[in-house]
Amino acid sequence: MPLRIVTGNHAAGHALSLAGEANRTARGTACGIYPITPQTEIVERVAAFPFSRGRVVAVESEHSAMAVTMGASVSGARAFTASSSNGIAYMVENIMVAGFYRLPIVMVAVNRTLGPPWNIWADQGDTLMLRDFPWIQLYAADNQEVHDLTLLAFRLAEDPRILLPVLVCMDAFIVSHTQAETELASPDEVDAFLPDLDLPHRLDPAHPRALGSMVWPDATVSHRMEIDEAMARVPNVMAECRARFREVFGRDPGGPLDALHTDAADAVLVASATVATTARGVVERRRAAGERVGLVKMRRYRPFPEAELVQACGGAGRIGVLDRDYAAGAGGVWWQDVRAGFQGRDETPLIQDYLLGIGGGDVTPALVNQVLDDLLNRRAAGPPVWADASGAFGPPAEVGA
Amino acid sequence: MVEIRIHGRGGQGGVTLAKLVAASRFLQGRSVQAFGLYAAERSGAPVQAFCRFDDAPITNRNLIYEPDHVIVLDPTLVGPTIAAGLRPGGWILLNTEDPPDAFGDRFPHNRIATVDATAVARGHGLGTRSVPIVNTALAGAVGRMLGFPLNDMLAAVEHLGFGGANLHAARDAFDAVRTRDAPWDPTPLDTPAPGPGFGGVGRTPGFVEGAGGERPRIETGRWASEQPRRQQFVPPCNHVCPAGNDVQGFLHALADERIDDALEILLRTTPFPSVCGRVCPAPCMASCNRRDLDGAVDVRDLERLAGDRGSARLVPAEARDRHVAVVGSGPAGLAAAYHLALFGYRVTILEADTVLGGLLRTGIPDFRLPPDVLDREIDRILALGVEVRFGGAVDRRRLFAVAQEYDAVLVATGLQQARSLHLGVGDDDGVEQGIAFLDRIKRGHGPHLDGEAVVVVGGGNTAMDAARSALRLGAASVRVVYRRTRAEMPAIAEEIDEALDEGVEIDFLTQPLAVRRSAQADGDGGQPELVCRRMALGAPDASGRRSPVAVPDSEFTVGCHRLILALGQSPDLAVFPEGTEVREGAELLGILETPVYAVGDLATHDGTVAGAIGSGRRAALHVHQTFTGRVEVDGDRTRVRSDVDEWHDEVIRTDALRAHLFERQAPAHAPTLGLRDRRTTFDEVHGGLADAADARRCLSCGVCNECDLCVTYCPEGVLKRVGHDLVFDYAHCKGCGICVTECPRNVVFMNHL
Repeated sequence: MPLRIVTGNHAAGHALSLAGEANRTARGTACGIYPITPQTEIVERVAAFPFSRGRVVAVESEHSAMAVTMGASVSGARAFTASSSNGIAYMVENIMVAGFYRLPIVMVAVNRTLGPPWNIWADQGDTLMLRDFPWIQLYAADNQEVHDLTLLAFRLAEDPRILLPVLVCMDAFIVSHTQAETELASPDEVDAFLPDLDLPHRLDPAHPRALGSMVWPDATVSHRMEIDEAMARVPNVMAECRARFREVFGRDPGGPLDALHTDAADAVLVASATVATTARGVVERRRAAGERVGLVKMRRYRPFPEAELVQACGGAGRIGVLDRDYAAGAGGVWWQDVRAGFQGRDETPLIQDYLLGIGGGDVTPALVNQVLDDLLNRRAAGPPVWADASGAFGPPAEVGA
Repeated sequence: MVEIRIHGRGGQGGVTLAKLVAASRFLQGRSVQAFGLYAAERSGAPVQAFCRFDDAPITNRNLIYEPDHVIVLDPTLVGPTIAAGLRPGGWILLNTEDPPDAFGDRFPHNRIATVDATAVARGHGLGTRSVPIVNTALAGAVGRMLGFPLNDMLAAVEHLGFGGANLHAARDAFDAVRTRDAPWDPTPLDTPAPGPGFGGVGRTPGFVEGAGGERPRIETGRWASEQPRRQQFVPPCNHVCPAGNDVQGFLHALADERIDDALEILLRTTPFPSVCGRVCPAPCMASCNRRDLDGAVDVRDLERLAGDRGSARLVPAEARDRHVAVVGSGPAGLAAAYHLALFGYRVTILEADTVLGGLLRTGIPDFRLPPDVLDREIDRILALGVEVRFGGAVDRRRLFAVAQEYDAVLVATGLQQARSLHLGVGDDDGVEQGIAFLDRIKRGHGPHLDGEAVVVVGGGNTAMDAARSALRLGAASVRVVYRRTRAEMPAIAEEIDEALDEGVEIDFLTQPLAVRRSAQADGDGGQPELVCRRMALGAPDASGRRSPVAVPDSEFTVGCHRLILALGQSPDLAVFPEGTEVREGAELLGILETPVYAVGDLATHDGTVAGAIGSGRRAALHVHQTFTGRVEVDGDRTRVRSDVDEWHDEVIRTDALRAHLFERQAPAHAPTLGLRDRRTTFDEVHGGLADAADARRCLSCGVCNECDLCVTYCPEGVLKRVGHDLVFDYAHCKGCGICVTECPRNVVFMNHL
């Protein structure tokens, strides 16, 4: 398919719609939707799509949106939804339930700052707070990744070895509302990539049974262990999905992370989403200038690609984690997982956390350069650094007379 | 990589311009980004959009602080920071009719291009007259400025799905753009580009530590293209009140349970709220916008409630040394005396009768207006120091004497000459004038009509009062004969209904011809009969009512022991010199220096108590103006005007009200006396309202009643009420218009800037 210039929301809506339509030879698609800035264009696009089998149900709240989506999924339909920020917070109870029900739902989340104070700009706190639920979490860095990871998510979620919901995240406005060249899939390609969904535990009136009844601790333990085993299978199954994606679409949707110039690097930045793309430009320029700096661009957060990360860092002595999120009393969320990943390894590197872009703060190449300088010159790791506390992204300067 | 920053106002299409430029490069195989800086701005707010393109894939995802070029969609945005960070030598493209040289001093480091994209857009009908969409024109200009072929730009316009006029606009602007050839100053800018810092400088105060601290102020009101304001119209009830009462005003006070204030508002214009609250035809209720929703507000009974239960202290102005005579103590004369006394004048009423009140005293039956109610309101007038001289009608000769004795004379003798019919019988032979009949009853000399058949001729309130009184005096039957139909009856509709309820029969389209006695065999005076004729409605007459015309050969008779004529009265003008043209506001006599005016029904022939009261007040104002040269009150309006509102002298249109914002609620009902008592006693029929709750149904049409919905719904908190004023913080009001759409009574309106 030719390139087009579209927004991240457009790319997500396109991928969701074609995935839903691709299940028409099985039980079709159905989902509940509820709009919220900056996700609204996604559900508008999905709601306008003429599905040949199934329907999109506009509901009165995010909580109900996920309830309808779960109902659709448990009946065997391909089910998806999208939300953002406080909408996700309101949806949380059902998000958790969807995971424990092992429903292969795909949710696109536009990462937006949780309020108050009220703020519509990018911040990953709204999805990282779901980290302990049985959801696979993927973070897209640009419009193309939004599109590709959304399609990949369906195949991954619905694989009988996995059967876990998948969250595909993008930064508010910086991706959701930014137009950039993007290759959009054709219906034929999506049909070829996504097999019909056949949910093994779907509810069927011909064979009545119940899901989620009261059980003894032993059954609960089994349930949790099954989830743990499915999570453990994600790396291999995701790799299979990635390979199949390459076959069908002719491009690489990416794995759990990308390593850039990490060979023999003194310092490596670990970042995700658009912070990672801006950091990539900085690292490339400084590498070209002879500095031994690298970047690990994270794409998967859950299950956390611990081994891949340690390997990707290639023995660098200094690791700077860029967190566009803040866990109260604990610093950056990514930082905690990165530190845990290196726990117990030989020669643990200096791992420093930088909180930046919080509340949608603008992450410029200059800021990343300053972060990198700080990392390279630091004697020891310290508490997380509030890198953009200057309020760089304050209210726009007043212009005019 | 090339980075472009676009400055515009919300609604101008800046983001789309960024996308157009990006599309033009995308179609040439470049990597592109186009995005806006999204926030809570709305139409007219200064906004920014960004575009970057590069041969290599673009990695960074930040805003643009050091643009290669700047585009300004609205020249009013050109200020000190508009080119902040712009690289020396970079283009600044301005949408303006001015040439680039006009900006040479302002942007010495840059190349300048100008194009009147607004004129181009308007020329091609893009957008609206007030908000032209300039982005496709500017896309053409950008192409010319940056050296891209026109076809690249046209392809971008088409790629985004625009065609027709947009393509023409792009082409025109491409041709029309002017550039400045003068060399630019290549030295770096003084103003540093705004950019992110590192290390915690200039931290913004948070919730707790920053509480009470100084915060940057954004004067969002500067974005506004519209501002809300408050306006006040004349409500229809106020407009039609013959007495000039502030109906909405007293209802508002009653709705607030401020009965004394309600009375005080009424007493500004009328000394007779308790009287009018019983006998007024209430044109206010006919004009009430609530009438067609769920029934008019019961203004009449609410006025009665305020008059009966409120208390107010009247303080006349300082005494003035002029002495005014008022001839006649009907409602017009008493109202004039009341207002003159309040102005501080010495007033003497000359009353030919032995009682005060005129027709209020002698012509309205007790069951509609109990005498003690009238006494109380007249006593309030007399308590202002008004003097009374009883006895002796003022005739033409005496009028001259009075005019010599007083500084001004108001003649308010009303309509005293009862019209008659020539029925071939004398007055003493069972035929009586209605006003004389009512007068007799009021003075305690009512006849016993046991078993009589009574016929009343006429269709006004006197006819209804006479008929209902006759029933109470024991008549066996009471028929009203009226030449026209019910629709033409001048009597108050409610009184017609009550008469019918009590057993009065009405023969419409019936003309009485003669009273005769049917011949009796024994030669005794037989049964008296009224010979009548059927009528039909013909063409409308001068009053707009259709004239009755006789139906040939339709005579018939009705039994009639007593015939009461209530055909209306006309003024007795014999008091004035022959040929005097008597009309309201005209100075009469003209022989003496003393101003003499005719007041009330004598001058207006209006025939209602409220009309007489209004005429009396206008006369008092007129006299006051004659004496002092000052106009104290502006016409019939008594409301205090505030400077902050816009005032309209016209009545608010019904369709300007937002009827859907009013809750429907049935009107309150006053109790009435039982029918048996109504046929046998002169006790007051109406009991009056139990409370003032019905006042809360007043829609307050076109007048702010301080419901404060606008304040409640203002999403910006920039609207508050201070005292009775609505205060808008225009420095921060964006003009969203929610206050306007939430105002039920169209008081808050939008003012285009």
